[in-house]
Amino acid sequence: MAGSYFSDMAGPALHAGKKGTAGFLRTILRVGLALALLLPGPALAVGQDRPETFDQLALSAAAAREQNDIPRAIDLYQRAVQLNPKWPDGWWYLGSLQYAVNAYAPSVEALTHYIELTPRAGPALALRGLCEFEQGQYPESLQDLQHGIALGAANQPRNTQIILYHEALLLTRLGKFEEALGKYTVFVKQGAINQDVTAGVGLSGLRMPIFPKDIDPAQAQLVSLTGRAAISVITGDLAGGHQAFLDIFHRFPAAPNVHYLYGYLLFSTDPDQAIEQFQQELTAYPSSAIAHAMLAWAYGLRGDFAAALPDAQKAAAEAPSLPMAQLVLGRTLVETGDVNSGLPHLEDVLRMEPGNLEAHMTLAKAYSELGRKEDARRERLWCLAVSNPGTAPNAPM
Amino acid sequence: MRLCSVLAILTLCYPSVYLQGQSGKITCASCHPAQALSQPDTQMGRALRLPGGNETLNAHPQLSFRKGGYSYSVETRNGQSQYVVSDGAQTVSLPILWSMGAEAQTWVLERNGRMYESLVSYYPSVNGLDITVGDEHLTPKNIDEAIGRPFSDTDSAACFGCHASNAVVDHKLHLSTLKPGLTCEHCHTGAGAHLAAIVHGDTSSIPPRLGKLSSEDISNFCGQCHRSWELVVRAGWRGETNVRFQPYRLANSKCFDGTDPRISCVACHDPHQKVVRDSSYYDARCLACHASLPVAASPSASQAKSCPVAKANCTTCHMPKVPFPGGHFQFTDHQIRIVKPNQPYPN
Repeated sequence: MAGSYFSDMAGPALHAGKKGTAGFLRTILRVGLALALLLPGPALAVGQDRPETFDQLALSAAAAREQNDIPRAIDLYQRAVQLNPKWPDGWWYLGSLQYAVNAYAPSVEALTHYIELTPRAGPALALRGLCEFEQGQYPESLQDLQHGIALGAANQPRNTQIILYHEALLLTRLGKFEEALGKYTVFVKQGAINQDVTAGVGLSGLRMPIFPKDIDPAQAQLVSLTGRAAISVITGDLAGGHQAFLDIFHRFPAAPNVHYLYGYLLFSTDPDQAIEQFQQELTAYPSSAIAHAMLAWAYGLRGDFAAALPDAQKAAAEAPSLPMAQLVLGRTLVETGDVNSGLPHLEDVLRMEPGNLEAHMTLAKAYSELGRKEDARRERLWCLAVSNPGTAPNAPM
Repeated sequence: MRLCSVLAILTLCYPSVYLQGQSGKITCASCHPAQALSQPDTQMGRALRLPGGNETLNAHPQLSFRKGGYSYSVETRNGQSQYVVSDGAQTVSLPILWSMGAEAQTWVLERNGRMYESLVSYYPSVNGLDITVGDEHLTPKNIDEAIGRPFSDTDSAACFGCHASNAVVDHKLHLSTLKPGLTCEHCHTGAGAHLAAIVHGDTSSIPPRLGKLSSEDISNFCGQCHRSWELVVRAGWRGETNVRFQPYRLANSKCFDGTDPRISCVACHDPHQKVVRDSSYYDARCLACHASLPVAASPSASQAKSCPVAKANCTTCHMPKVPFPGGHFQFTDHQIRIVKPNQPYPN
């Protein structure tokens, strides 16, 4: 799944060795080698059969790694870090080599030691996240990947692809569909479109919390067509996208979330059409919390919070644990003057998603309205600290 | 209720000549002369000019500029202006239909049914043309791109929505109903209906009193065009270019309090009057909070520290002028603060 994607994406270097993540691993190993070369060299000669001292073990481990003798390198690094558990590079090489031979649980353990010694090591966090992904520890994996990304792990183009792709897979699997769609949009806008990305877009768009490899064959065509239609809209082919969505509506009239997805994609450029699509989704699925929530949000962006309120209330009633539903109800209540009623909903959002910028922004406004000046200022400063500067550097006049 | 009754009596008792004005037409100025007569001459009142009414272009009938292999000229004759772009081989000439801005001007052009923001603008600081603010990064690859930045429907609605009145109805651009600049009904929703009703003594249609909004709400109200704090944060507009987004800057001030009317936009600025450039005018507004003694008008309001340095011209230190990137403007920074030497621009 991920392997085929990245072997397609990253060029010939990836076709050798471990499929899919090999490029990432090689990069890690190259970086590791560079790091190793910078370290003070052990005093003893290489090549002894049973080196006993830490320096001898370290040197032999490096030699084995350079000779691509991974089992021996792993053994030597394990013995070296037993002698010197404070040796970060040893844990790093041990963890990355264990990842290379699919030994994910030991790799997680080694990387955890490395991260304890080097807490801001973005690539190690990301690599641990990839190990956790392979072990089915999805929430932990997502947390590590996102922490690693925040620390720059995805800054290199080759790493960007594998890390962001896994992040998108996990976001979808964990029900954070809109966030996943945002990650896939980066791939699509870079022209990195293939079968896996198309399926990923389709799954997140249809709000199916599964991986592409788990798609029911009976739904494969719907997922694929939805992915393609969404990609058309994302790439600016609005006419093509419109036709593709019409085709899906015709062929799969009972498929949930297709109208919602089309509305979501049109939301920023054609809010009228988006509202119409959300309404159509609700005609077919009156209890769709996300459609109620987005419809309310769309009304709110127009400044019509009175119209937004019924849908916001329905969204929160249908799905109290959906952050978007609580957010839109909280915001709508604040904007319609019922600030005190809005506050608990906004605070609920932050319990579910502590980093939800919109919730923090609305809380700033709510606190300000209530004269809670210091709370409002705290929220504003938080928003300024975490919001992404420069996303639109050329503000219009 | 009492106010409504008084208004009704006043309206019915007004001499009809006064209500109808000298032209015989009943207008907002009939009852609100102080506001209605001065507002059209403000920057907001002059935010958009139509052909024939553009004093700037009439005074500069021949403007020219050259950049990146393209030459630009704006030629005005008999009140009609043409925006001309040439790459030496091809020339495109378009009529200037809408001029945005009371001082600096950017033009909205129409070509083949699509609107464009002109790539060059007029700046009083250079008394001529230069690249439009925000478009510095654009590098035209052909003469079509050299005309300017094409507008999406959202762009054009936003542009005309803030520079004109009655141009955007139900979130759609309607140029047929456009009135240049900001008129009463732009801010006072329902002013038209109120005007129609008041003639018949119906005082039930009074538009919402904007002056009664909280500081937080008035900041968001003005921020619809001047950019609210939320809008700037959401868009990620950082750096000195955001100095022109006053509601955002003000909300970042440590002293901003959404419930304190002393820090509201309208505490310092009367939108019906030209903006006051004399810094001493604002001293009383600053001292409303920073006076050494409590202010009689707001005995319960909290009192901020008084300035140990001066009691006059507060804004010259605490709201410094920030040169706008590009060099054509400087804006008063509304992020009120103690400015320290060599401190970077706070975002």
